[in-house]
Amino acid sequence: MSPSKKDNMLYVGIDLGTSRSVVSASNGSRNWVESYVGWPKDFVAKKMLGKRVLFGGEALEHRLSLDLSRPLQNGVIKEGTERDEAAVHELIGHLIGMAGAQPEEEMCVAVGVPAEALKVNKIAIRNAVSEHARKLMVVSEPFSVAYGLGALDNAMIIDIGAGTVDFCIMHGTVPLDEDQRSLLVAGDYIDEQLFRLLSEKHPEADFSLNMVRRFKEKHAFVGEPKRRIKIEAPVDGKFTQFDVTEEMRKACESPMPAIVETVIDLIAGFDPEFQEQVRKNIIVAGGGSQISGLDTYLAAVTKEFEPCNFTCINDPLYAGADGALQLATDMPEEFLEKL
Amino acid sequence: MKADSTTKRVVLRGVYEDNLGIPRSCRGKGRARSCPAADDRPKRFGKVGKIGIIGLFAVVALLGFNFRIVYLDSVGPVAMQMSEQPPPPTPVASPVVQARPADGATEAMDLLVGSGFGPIIETAAETGREYDAMLSHLGTPMADLFDLKVQTIVIDPGHGGSDPGATGHQGLQEKDVALDIARRLRDKLAAVGTYRVLLTREDDRKVYLKERVAFAKENHADLFISIHINSVPAEAGPVNYVETFYFGPHTDQRSLDLAEKENRDSDYVMGDFREIIARIGDTLKTEESAQLAASIHSRLYSNLKRRSGDLMDAGAKTGPFVVLLGVEVPSVLIEVSCISNKAEETRLSTPHYRDSIAGFLETGIVAYLKRRTIRTKIDGDNRENVAQQER
Repeated sequence: MSPSKKDNMLYVGIDLGTSRSVVSASNGSRNWVESYVGWPKDFVAKKMLGKRVLFGGEALEHRLSLDLSRPLQNGVIKEGTERDEAAVHELIGHLIGMAGAQPEEEMCVAVGVPAEALKVNKIAIRNAVSEHARKLMVVSEPFSVAYGLGALDNAMIIDIGAGTVDFCIMHGTVPLDEDQRSLLVAGDYIDEQLFRLLSEKHPEADFSLNMVRRFKEKHAFVGEPKRRIKIEAPVDGKFTQFDVTEEMRKACESPMPAIVETVIDLIAGFDPEFQEQVRKNIIVAGGGSQISGLDTYLAAVTKEFEPCNFTCINDPLYAGADGALQLATDMPEEFLEKL
Repeated sequence: MKADSTTKRVVLRGVYEDNLGIPRSCRGKGRARSCPAADDRPKRFGKVGKIGIIGLFAVVALLGFNFRIVYLDSVGPVAMQMSEQPPPPTPVASPVVQARPADGATEAMDLLVGSGFGPIIETAAETGREYDAMLSHLGTPMADLFDLKVQTIVIDPGHGGSDPGATGHQGLQEKDVALDIARRLRDKLAAVGTYRVLLTREDDRKVYLKERVAFAKENHADLFISIHINSVPAEAGPVNYVETFYFGPHTDQRSLDLAEKENRDSDYVMGDFREIIARIGDTLKTEESAQLAASIHSRLYSNLKRRSGDLMDAGAKTGPFVVLLGVEVPSVLIEVSCISNKAEETRLSTPHYRDSIAGFLETGIVAYLKRRTIRTKIDGDNRENVAQQER
């Protein structure tokens, strides 16, 4: 990371995700929170919880006492509701607070958001940040990942998040609308598929969507299984073990046809002279990149069209925020002055 | 994997320019929720905003701005213009239903200031935005404001149940999108006036076209709005367009093909057609339907075009749709989007986008109702003038 250009300037990168939101700052702080925001439902709840607003796991834990919002469901601020816009506002404030700015420090904030949110909620997000920082930028998540990795030319980023899978082709400039695609068959979709498959196969067991999401985060895989996957779920109040290997595979592979089709379609629309370079440089980011065997699986499936190289990044949780931080830090002073 | 400094500089400049383009009007200490996204229809103004608007109108009135509503003719749209400097001829989005030139104006009224609406210059491209602003800012019940006679609006979400309609590449189905938009439109219309707004189907079930028509009649519908999503064969490529139909002969082969597709499972028998075909000469209904189609279509297209650069305008035009023929009141069938276009299908998957479409349809319907009322008022005033002269 390049050194700060001003001593009293704190550079902050934020990855505002559907499932998790992450912050990295030039003072070295790195934090994340699950993207839940909750307000106490009434004065009793407020007195019991002792807070005006709760975030992340704490909000989830006390969800029965809260008006809970997961504001970026499906990759956009849900239905443009005031509550979800307010939740984004609170969440950004919380993340900036986690960055640990000193009172005398000025802040420059870059925020990465799902590509769809960038299209439809850009101003709402910018306004939410503007209360905290005078210098700010809003970019798409896959772009901030690409910037952080230095993959700015002839590369494709696939950001598999909870609400959307965002695709972005980089060709040495800021990606245009036609360089980007979004699919709604992402992490939440896998959860729903897994929940459905498990409920159908084991109707006697009590599964919840949150339980299923935890199973996925621990055991997700595509392709041939390396081991049998066994989980425990309550049956009539007693925890019972189930082998869910096949269901896990089916659920995790369910978005793959759409992802492969989009990859091929985007590459086919790229300049023919550079298609080969893009095929060799496909980077998979986001929580979905942690699905075991994903890079091998995608390479095998696309082989029949044209061989492609897929690389899953090492630190998917912080890649977006680190990229946004890099962007804020690199932004020339003459540009920053006007932002 | 490191980018060279020139590429980096180009990209940074791009980010800078991208972010400079975002309006900054809401900067400062205000809460984010008081500053809606630019492409969201503003929900409402706070007290200060309302006072500001009222004050603005008062200032406009005091300054004596002489804005007028010019009534063009019995089927032409109403254009609002300044008396001294008429605006250029109104551009129209529809290739079929076209505005008459301002030269044909027969009557002018100083209604704008009196009605409290201020200087709204109406063009096909701008009216959607102006109406958005007007509806949101005034918060006035349209029915009270315009003394509307329309009481019952029937919204008809296409397909349903075992008939999914068109299906997109990602599996999104026309029947689900149409139902969702219809529900949102119902809620919006119910919120702006005292209309009774009904849906021909409230859930995912099959309803024959004949049943839809019967439902409209039984409930004494004053307007009938049928909502569909278009689809084109793969060989046509990734096209995306909107089009709006009112009953009449087809204007091109594609309209005929589409009508055949939408007319499937009508449950009508040949005998029924003798009666309903006789109604084709119902010119009043046709004229009103044409007005309604043009009003909805121009607003839908001009607003959606801002979101989808590739959107094409297939116009407001006639088509032989059975469901439109059977209904006796002004009725239109709107293909609000094109589900076979992948990018459009993704957009349609988001509640926000479907809500926007419902908002644009609402804007078009309310604009039609307003014109209708103004026409009635002017007709009434003309009759009064003639009576006075005769006296």
